[in-house]
Amino acid sequence: MAADMTPILEMDRLQVSLFTRRGVLPAVDGLSLSVAAGETLAIVGESGCGKTLAALSVMQLLPDPPARIVGGAIRFLGRDLVPLSDREMRQVRGRDISMIFQDPMTSLNPVVSVGDQLIEAIRQHMDVTHREAINRAIELLHRVRIPDAERRLGDYPHQMSGGMSQRVMIAMAIACQPKLLIADEPTTALDVTIQAQILELMKELQAASDMGLIIITHDLGVVAEIADRVVVMYAGRKVEEAPVEALFERPLHPYTRGLLGATPSALRRRGGRLVEISGSVPGLAELPPGCAFQNRCPLAFDRCRQERPALTAPMPNRSVACFAAEREMLSNVAAVGP
Amino acid sequence: MRFSPFLDFCRRFARNHAALLGFVLILVVIGCAAVAPWLMPRDPLRIVGRAEIWPFQSWRFPLGTDSLGRDIAAMIMYGARTTLLIGLFASVTATLIGVSVGASAAYFGGWIDELLMRFTELFQTIPSLIFVLTIVAVLGQKLEYVTVAVGIVSWTAIARLTRAEFLSLRDREFVQACRAMGMSNLRIIVGEILPNALPPVIVLSSLVISGAVLFESAVAFLGLGDPNVASWGGLIGDGRTLIRTSWYICAVPGIAIMLTVLALNLIGDGLNDALNPKLRDR
Repeated sequence: MAADMTPILEMDRLQVSLFTRRGVLPAVDGLSLSVAAGETLAIVGESGCGKTLAALSVMQLLPDPPARIVGGAIRFLGRDLVPLSDREMRQVRGRDISMIFQDPMTSLNPVVSVGDQLIEAIRQHMDVTHREAINRAIELLHRVRIPDAERRLGDYPHQMSGGMSQRVMIAMAIACQPKLLIADEPTTALDVTIQAQILELMKELQAASDMGLIIITHDLGVVAEIADRVVVMYAGRKVEEAPVEALFERPLHPYTRGLLGATPSALRRRGGRLVEISGSVPGLAELPPGCAFQNRCPLAFDRCRQERPALTAPMPNRSVACFAAEREMLSNVAAVGP
Repeated sequence: MRFSPFLDFCRRFARNHAALLGFVLILVVIGCAAVAPWLMPRDPLRIVGRAEIWPFQSWRFPLGTDSLGRDIAAMIMYGARTTLLIGLFASVTATLIGVSVGASAAYFGGWIDELLMRFTELFQTIPSLIFVLTIVAVLGQKLEYVTVAVGIVSWTAIARLTRAEFLSLRDREFVQACRAMGMSNLRIIVGEILPNALPPVIVLSSLVISGAVLFESAVAFLGLGDPNVASWGGLIGDGRTLIRTSWYICAVPGIAIMLTVLALNLIGDGLNDALNPKLRDR
């Protein structure tokens, strides 16, 4: 949907390494992606695959030590963020790009009232008086559907439920009308019913302001709900990228298929078993030569153990890094070919 | 609604009877210090009567007179001013230094942490009393210098506590969220993390006051206090030669010091109970 639009954010072969006692580990390895205005990109993968580090790289908030950007560029509206100083970056954070985190209960300062935190967020980048900031805070709470907003301003975080807190976090994130919002597992800590409400709210706010949205999740239900395009990550690399319908209809990478097979669905035949992906993600220190997924892959063959598959584009708007998928595509082409 | 955390704190503090007693005792000391200039407008170090009048013998000198014939009651009341002043300002000095050092060490980490903590340890290795005496000897025997000296030797514990608190708070998500909002480091340290780290620091600071009272007394006892102000420690020092005959000269200020320090410690414990979230709602 957004292939022909100019991207707001463009990540170009980003390399993030962890500098540990056991050596330098490639936590994010050559990740490229882009998000356009009004578009939602989902980054999917298991814990430890580097999706959060990729997001923190955009904000330049990597935990250093041990993590550091060692290569690549992150262009926001054409400007590379990687070489910016902390002072310059502070102007970007919150105003141009905002981020919301996984656990709303711990993302709010427990000793500051909700209203004061919102006002701080507003006055961080906007030159308004205290009175104007209060009015804007009330308006923001209305926008994220918090009833009785005026009274809620004086509440402390422990007086709010998880869903309420996440609404406040979203209000803080959109306080300065950012062009890009990064949400790191925004619904993981919430009840399923609340999850749907929060996703709905984020969709609405995005449509109203045309901001780009990057949502990081391991929940394919969330992806189906909200995303336009999906990037699947495995062990620090992008293994597949596709528009959301295409991905669910025909996943190319065996890992993506595994993720889909392991997701419960109401439509699936009753009593049908979920298929797990056997094994676990290899540690970054013991990545095998060749494909990182080989030891868990049902389709792995000799080439996978020797060579690392590069990203190829077998279909328009899609890319995949898998020899087995390539072979499959070739045989399909041969089958329908003349 | 807004003030409920403070009221809640008061309620919890008042539930602790020992802390309440300490609070009342301190109020009495503060009261003495406050009314001293009106009640006894003359210089407490002036000789006003016969030497060595025992307490409760003369209505003019309810607590008696010392070996020179100075009014002990006046010296106790004016001494309360000295003691509280030094205790309070030394504690403020120690807290300012300690919180700055501990907060920057934990927040910035790395070599800054390493450097600041080695610096702190250096201060910890020097015996406190000797250090205070050295500073007073170098700077001069004035009230301000004694205060600064006591502050300089008392900040290390606060620095280490603040560092520990900051270390656990630094990686919390709300700090990350503030950084993602574009806040500067100083604002995050002072405006966001410090309010969370403050309760245990306040407790320790209140205990530093009682430590400072003892330091001041020790310095004055050794004759290195400010000679121009009345001081409980100084009075004990002056009376020590007569301890066999007129022991009350040492005993009266001794009891004053003991009660004040006891009260401060009780308050410290009470604050700890009232501010410690783990003990809440018990």
